[in-house]
Amino acid sequence: MKPSDEVQLTAYALGEGTPAERAAVAARLRTDPAAQAAVDEIRAFAAQLATELQGEPDIGLTDDQRRRIREASARPAGRLVRFPWRRLTGFAAVAAVVTLVFGGTLWHAAKQLLDDRFAKSREASIACEMVEVDEQQLDELLAPAERPDMVDVVTPPDLDWDMAPPPQVEDFCAAPAASAVAELNVASDAISPIVMKGLAPGAMANRASRGRAASLGSYGGRWGLYSESMPPANAESYAPIQGNTFKQVANEPLSTFSIDVDTASYANIRRFLRAGQMPPPDAVRVEEMVNYFPYDYAPPKGQTPFAVHVESAACPWAPDHALVRIALKGKSLDAERRPPCNLVFLIDVSGSMDEPNKLPLVKKSIQLLARQLDARDRVTLAVYAGAAGLVLPPTPASDLATIDAAVENLRAGGSTAGGAGIRLAYDAARQSFLPDGNNRVVLCTDGDFNVGIVDSEELAGFIADRAKQGIFLTVLGFGMGNYKDDRLETLSNKGNGNYAYVDSFSEARKVLAEQAAGTLFAIAKDVKLQIEFNPAQVSSYRLVGYENRLLAKEDFNDDKKDAGELGAGHAVTAFYEVVPVGAESAPGVDPLKYQPAAKEPTAPRERANDNPEWLTVKLRYKLPQADRSEKIEVPFVGAARPFADASTDFRFAAGVATAGLMLRGDPSVMDLGFDDVAAWAAAAVGADPGGHRREFLGLLRDAAVLSP
Amino acid sequence: MRPENPAPAASETPPDRATWLEAVVARYERPLCQYAYRLTGNFDAARDAVQDTFLRLCRAGVLEEARTAPWLFRVCRNRCIDLLRKERPMQPLTDAQAAVLPAPGPDPAEEAGRRESASLLLRKLAELPAHQAEVIRLKFQHQMSYREIAAVTALSESNVGYLIHVGIQTLRQQAAQF
Repeated sequence: MKPSDEVQLTAYALGEGTPAERAAVAARLRTDPAAQAAVDEIRAFAAQLATELQGEPDIGLTDDQRRRIREASARPAGRLVRFPWRRLTGFAAVAAVVTLVFGGTLWHAAKQLLDDRFAKSREASIACEMVEVDEQQLDELLAPAERPDMVDVVTPPDLDWDMAPPPQVEDFCAAPAASAVAELNVASDAISPIVMKGLAPGAMANRASRGRAASLGSYGGRWGLYSESMPPANAESYAPIQGNTFKQVANEPLSTFSIDVDTASYANIRRFLRAGQMPPPDAVRVEEMVNYFPYDYAPPKGQTPFAVHVESAACPWAPDHALVRIALKGKSLDAERRPPCNLVFLIDVSGSMDEPNKLPLVKKSIQLLARQLDARDRVTLAVYAGAAGLVLPPTPASDLATIDAAVENLRAGGSTAGGAGIRLAYDAARQSFLPDGNNRVVLCTDGDFNVGIVDSEELAGFIADRAKQGIFLTVLGFGMGNYKDDRLETLSNKGNGNYAYVDSFSEARKVLAEQAAGTLFAIAKDVKLQIEFNPAQVSSYRLVGYENRLLAKEDFNDDKKDAGELGAGHAVTAFYEVVPVGAESAPGVDPLKYQPAAKEPTAPRERANDNPEWLTVKLRYKLPQADRSEKIEVPFVGAARPFADASTDFRFAAGVATAGLMLRGDPSVMDLGFDDVAAWAAAAVGADPGGHRREFLGLLRDAAVLSP
Repeated sequence: MRPENPAPAASETPPDRATWLEAVVARYERPLCQYAYRLTGNFDAARDAVQDTFLRLCRAGVLEEARTAPWLFRVCRNRCIDLLRKERPMQPLTDAQAAVLPAPGPDPAEEAGRRESASLLLRKLAELPAHQAEVIRLKFQHQMSYREIAAVTALSESNVGYLIHVGIQTLRQQAAQF
C-alpha cells in the first residue's frame, strides 16, 4: 500500500475527504478486506483516543475573568464606520498633497539591463521562491526544533496546492476600480451589509474574516497558501516604537527628522504575515513600508541632487484632516560616470547561517551583485565566525570566475564574533581604498552577534568613525528567527549606510539588482528634513512613522549631527496628517499658569498672517565627501482635493501607510479593515513593474484573515 | 485590530448578542483553556490567552456557527504565541541554547510524572512532536474537521491529514508494544 493511500484510509476512517474521495475509498474497501480491516482498526483506535482525551482534567477561567468577559459582552458592539467616501468629497476645505522630488540623471544602462533581466528571470524566480517556501512548509508551527521525518512523503500533494500561483492577487487587481469604489460606498453605510458583487473569487478570502457568507473552504484554503514556518517566538528583538502624536502648530511649528530609505521592516512584516501570524507592533516601521515601493517621482533637473515634490489630499482615515506627502527623489547615476566601487563583503558564516534562506541566499546575492559591476570595481570577501578571515583578496569585479569560486566555497559553522570581523573588513576596505570611489563594507548576517565584541556602543562608535573616513556600511539581514532588527539598523545608521532585509531571492534581486545604484552609491549624506507649518492654515499635525528618526529642531542646522544617506535614484516618502485651521483639532492643553500668554496653545503666537502657504519644506544635505551642508526650501500651498483625485502613487503610498498604522495598532485607523485598504490600494496599483504592489495586496488579504 | 464585524452583528439586537456570547463562552471556555494550556504549558498564561480571546470575540460580534470554533481556536493560538513572545522578549538565543531549551508546551516527562492517572496512551501522545500532538488533540479532543484544523493552525489540509495519520500510526505501534 502506498503511503498516500494509507493517509487516505485514515482520512476515510475519520469521516474526512470529499464525497468523490470517499466514494473511491468505499469502492476499494468492498474488494480489499485488508484495507477494510485497517479502517476498522483506525476507527476503534480513534474512539479509544477520543474517550481518553475526554477524561483529561481540564481547567476553566477564574471568576474574575468570567466577570470581565460578561461585562464586555453587555456593551454594544463597536460603531461601524468604514472609509467614508461620501463625506470625504463633501469636505472641500480639506484636500491637498505635497510631493517634493529630488531628481537627476538615470543610471540608464544599468537600469535597462536590469529591467530586461528582471522580466526574463521573473518566472524562474517565482519557481525559486516557491522552492524555498516548500522547504519551510513542513516545519511545525510551535516547535521548530523538532522536524519529523516525513518530508518525502507529504510534499507531492502539498506542492500541488502550495505551488499553484496565488490567483487571488491577479484576480483581485483585475476587479474594476469602479466596483471597489461602489463597494466602499455601501460599506460607509453603517447598517446595510456589504455586498460582494463584482469582486473576484479571491476576494472572498477577505470577506470570510468579516463573518460574511464565505464558506469555510475559501478561507481554510487561503491559509494553506503560504506555509512558511512560524518564526521562533523568542529569538527576535525589536526596539519599542512610540507612535508620533499630534503637535499644535502654535506650540511646535517645526518638525525635524532624518530621512530613512531602509525597507527591512516591510520584508520582515511580509515574513510574519505569510507565516500566518500578525507581526509584533514594534516590528512595524511605517516609513520603511512606504519606502519599500518604487514611485514614479520626477527626477531633479539641473545640478541639485534632489527633487522635492509635495502633494496633499483628504486623509483617508480622517476625512476632516489632510494628508500631506513629502517626496524626495535622488538623481540617478550614469553607468559611465558612476564612481568605481571598492566593496568588502563581510559574511557571517556562523552556525546559525546554515539555513536555506541564509548563507545560500547570501551567496546568490553576492553573485548577483558582482554581475552589476565591472573591471573598475574591486570585490573583497571576508568571513567571520569563531575566527575572522579574508577569503578573497581585492579582486577586479570583471573576474567573475574567481569571485564565484570563492563564494561557492563559503561554509557555515562555528559561533559568531561580529566585532572582530567588522574590524577586519574595514581594514581591508582601507587597504584598497579608492579616493574618488564608493568604499563600502557590505555586512551579510542574521544579526546574531553573540560571541566576542558584544558592546554595541563600542561597535557603533567604530563604524561611525570609519564612516567619517569615507567607508560606508550597508547591512543585509538574512533569514528568519534570530533576527536582531534594532541592532542591524543601528549599525547601518552609524555607518552612514542602508539596511535591507533579504528573505528571498526576489528580495535580493530588488535590493541588489533593481536598486543596485541606490544601495551602493550615495549621492548625499546627512539628509535632514525640517517642515515649518503655518499656524494661519494648519492647527496641528503629526508625522506618520519615522519615530526613531526624529531630530531636535536645533539639529537641523548642526552639521555635526548625523542623518540618513540617500542613494542614487532612491526616493524617500513621508506623510504628515495635517489638521487644517477650522477642522476639529486634537484636544489642546490648558493654558500655562507660569508662562506668558504667548505660549498658550490656543492663541496664535502673533497676529494671524494671511499667507496661504500650509508649510515650507526645508532640506539639508551634504555631498558624499563634503563636510558642510547645503539647504533647499520648498513652500507648499495646500489645495482642496478628495482622496480619490490624488495621484496613483499618492493613493498607493497612503494605503501602505494606513496598513502600517493598522499593524501598529494605531487608534486612529481602528475603524478600517485591511480589506478596505486593499480595495483602495488595488485601485492605485498602476503599472507595477516589479510586481511589488500586487504582492502587497496579497499581504493585506493575509492580514484581513488573521486580524480578528 | 478590527473593532467589529459587520452586518451580522449590526442586525442583531443587543440581548440576542449577549445571549449568544454567553452561550459561546459557556461552550468553549474549557476546551480553549485546555488547548491554550497545551500550547503554553502554563495555566495562568492559558487563562489570559482565553480571556483575551473572548474579549476580542465581544468586539467581533456574532459569528456564524461554522466559523465560531475555528475563529476562537485561531485567535487563542495567536494569543498564546504572542504571550510566549512577550514572556521572553529580548533573550538572545544561541544555537547551543536552542538545542537544549524545551519546546514551549508542557515538558513531556514532567507532564507524565505529574499525571500518574494519565493513561499510557496519553503519555505517548505527550511525547509526539508538538505539531502532531496539537492536530490530534484538535481532532479527537475538540472534534474538528481537517479543514477546521487547517484554518486554526495555518497548515494545509493535506498536511493536517498527513500529520494526524502519522501521529495515529505512531501511537498505535507504541500501544501495541506494551
